[in-house]
Amino acid sequence: MEDKELGLMAHLLRRTGFGATLQELEEYQAKGYEATVDELLHPEDAPEWNDDLVRRYHTDQNSVMFFESAQSYWMYKMINSKRPLEEKIALFWHGLFATAYGKLNHAKGVLNQTDTFRCHGLGSFHNILMELSRDPAMIFWLDNKDNHKHAPNENYGRELLELFSMGIGTYTEDDVKSCARAFTGWTIANQDYMSVRAARDSIWPSGRIDWQFQYRPEDHDENEKEFLGRTGNFNGEDIIDIIAMRPATSWFIAGKLYNYFVSDTPNEEAIGFLAEEYRKTSGDIRSMLRALFLSDYFKSEDVWYARVKSPTELVVGAARLAGSYQTPRWDITDLANDANFMGQEILNPPTVEGWHTGMEWVDTGTLVERVNSAALVIGDAKQPGIQAMIQRLKDRQDTYQPNELVDATLMLAGGLQVSEGTRQRLVEFAGNWGEVKFTPEDAVACSEQRVVELLQMILSTREYQMA
Amino acid sequence: MTTTMTFKYSHTIGFLAATGRGFTNPVDVAINSQGVIYVLNRAGPETPIRLPSKRISMCTLDEEFLGEFGTGGTGDGEFWWPSSIAIDSQDRVYVADEGLQRVTIFGKNGEYLGKWGEKGSGDGQLEYPSSIAFDGDDNLWMTDSGNHRVQKFTRDGEFISAWGQRGSGPGQFEGPWGLALSDDGDVYISDWGNDRIQRYDTAGNLIEEFGGLPKADAIHRPAGLAVDGKGNIYVADWGNERVRVLGPDGSVLASLRGESVDSKWAADYFDANPEEGRLRNEADLVPELDPPARRDREISAGVESYFWGPTAVKLDGEGRVYVADCLRHRIQVYQTN
Repeated sequence: MEDKELGLMAHLLRRTGFGATLQELEEYQAKGYEATVDELLHPEDAPEWNDDLVRRYHTDQNSVMFFESAQSYWMYKMINSKRPLEEKIALFWHGLFATAYGKLNHAKGVLNQTDTFRCHGLGSFHNILMELSRDPAMIFWLDNKDNHKHAPNENYGRELLELFSMGIGTYTEDDVKSCARAFTGWTIANQDYMSVRAARDSIWPSGRIDWQFQYRPEDHDENEKEFLGRTGNFNGEDIIDIIAMRPATSWFIAGKLYNYFVSDTPNEEAIGFLAEEYRKTSGDIRSMLRALFLSDYFKSEDVWYARVKSPTELVVGAARLAGSYQTPRWDITDLANDANFMGQEILNPPTVEGWHTGMEWVDTGTLVERVNSAALVIGDAKQPGIQAMIQRLKDRQDTYQPNELVDATLMLAGGLQVSEGTRQRLVEFAGNWGEVKFTPEDAVACSEQRVVELLQMILSTREYQMA
Repeated sequence: MTTTMTFKYSHTIGFLAATGRGFTNPVDVAINSQGVIYVLNRAGPETPIRLPSKRISMCTLDEEFLGEFGTGGTGDGEFWWPSSIAIDSQDRVYVADEGLQRVTIFGKNGEYLGKWGEKGSGDGQLEYPSSIAFDGDDNLWMTDSGNHRVQKFTRDGEFISAWGQRGSGPGQFEGPWGLALSDDGDVYISDWGNDRIQRYDTAGNLIEEFGGLPKADAIHRPAGLAVDGKGNIYVADWGNERVRVLGPDGSVLASLRGESVDSKWAADYFDANPEEGRLRNEADLVPELDPPARRDREISAGVESYFWGPTAVKLDGEGRVYVADCLRHRIQVYQTN
């Protein structure tokens, strides 16, 4: 029973964060499951990550002029944040409203967009769409700066309906045209100058300049529009009012949240439950997630380890477990690159559709990367997280038989539960060493190394690679 | 005090350039006896393509580019996290490196002369040396930031003395950054993590500290600093994206936000790219921020003329104040009366 409760808490933390250490799981357990859900859903109550040291020593990450600097900065933030769900929801919206550096040439612009997701990502979906529509990176990404009163550009209007809210088949081409017309005049300040800088990738004379939203009423189409069966002189706000109330939107968002937080395999009943919660709460994401996390759809052991970890989840989770990158390190760019090589370039998704997830994260090439990266991060016995795990092993007993060492280390690796087959292979691996002893003193270094090697093997298992 | 000090923006030196005429994240400035300005470019990240941007640029007050030397790397004469630059009485150039835990010495034209320093916490060992300055006897003073202390060396790196430990009490430090010496030998330290400036005598006795100012004037995460002949203190108030000038009693004489206009090098760029220049001239470069920025650093990111990540302040003895405007890749020069 106790294992099951810990297993559920570990499941919750894998989905709402990047996993948790055994100590963290025990602290959460002491608070209880429901209280933990509420705590996670209110990240603003936890201290904000203090990035002063990172910005002091990584001068480039203070201005994030370069793409790799922006990626590294977000890696640090995900690894060190005391607000795991805030980062996780930012990653969710980043995947859904996929905006890529590759077109923008403005790393800080894309990074700023993730701040919008942190700030508003657990609020009402209506408000999220409002903020998204005013987001300069989005305005650049989907060409709304080129959406003019007398020359509409439909790119943002189309994707707002198709990819961001209701889904294909729920609107007509005329709706797309009206939607685009309603968002004319939603642009950025100094549009012409900023456009030429972006087009030329100009960083001169003094680096990037943050973009600012600007509404230009003189460029807004004030004529009557028909949209989803309604008629009026709609502006962008009116369009979002209508979209947010549509049943199609409730199903669309429910499906995306279920896929991200619960399982790679859709469950119509569970998605229907979430869609109903959307309608009951006017699309309040926090309320939807609370209902989800407290439901059997989420708690069921059938959905534990039912999602393939995204590369970012994998890399960040391993670093958090190891306790590494808590202070500035030169090789932070390597960590971001690991995720890139596994197929997830954060801040630079491949298309506006975002990444293809689930089993599509894994192929013969990326699997090797996933195993090697996790093994590398967890392979440094000096890291504080590893030292803490070793200390707990030492505190518990002096000598471990292979099966004891495997069971204890699985628990330390975030309350990981594995199949009997996986466990047996791990025991065979540990069996090569016989007993592992933490006394006398001259046995310690060798034993610590064995714990590290076992951790490397555990992070390579199917179960750890899943969430 | 009967005379009111004024601080008038003079001009800007700089232009973003990965190599050649321009700077990349200048973190410190030093001026030799001939008036040559040495600008230390930290650059980053530490990826192969960016390493050549780590260098020292040489120029004059009138924006004449004189050349550059050094590059990124770990070999002799190379930099990883260069943090501070100082010049001895013989016009030799010393560079502290927080990544390599050492001091590298160059001749005035950039010829490599040597290095000293090693990582550690013992006497004379280094852990993130953030700032260096010479006294009148050519002794080199250093904030040994990771060890939360001040160290004093001969210019060849022989250990002389040290003081300080981690903490927030009197005589303690939290990641000290800037260091400056007054004409009478007092040592001023930017106690970065404790948001204060501390003043010591040469023997390491604490004389006074400046901090705890009203919120509007409070220093936040101070970086480099300088002291003039009257005892006024010029602080790169890194956390507030400002330069603060404090009187000898700690009162705030000025709070500068930065007001850069294009340098000559920038003007040359727009001469060569007239369409971009035309659109720039038509743009409102101090735009209304939407949403209203929550932090000064976000305001600086959106308003190009402001300081953004100022890391060092240096004086030239003729009333000029040089501010290393790190994230804007330039030096803003002010003139005092």
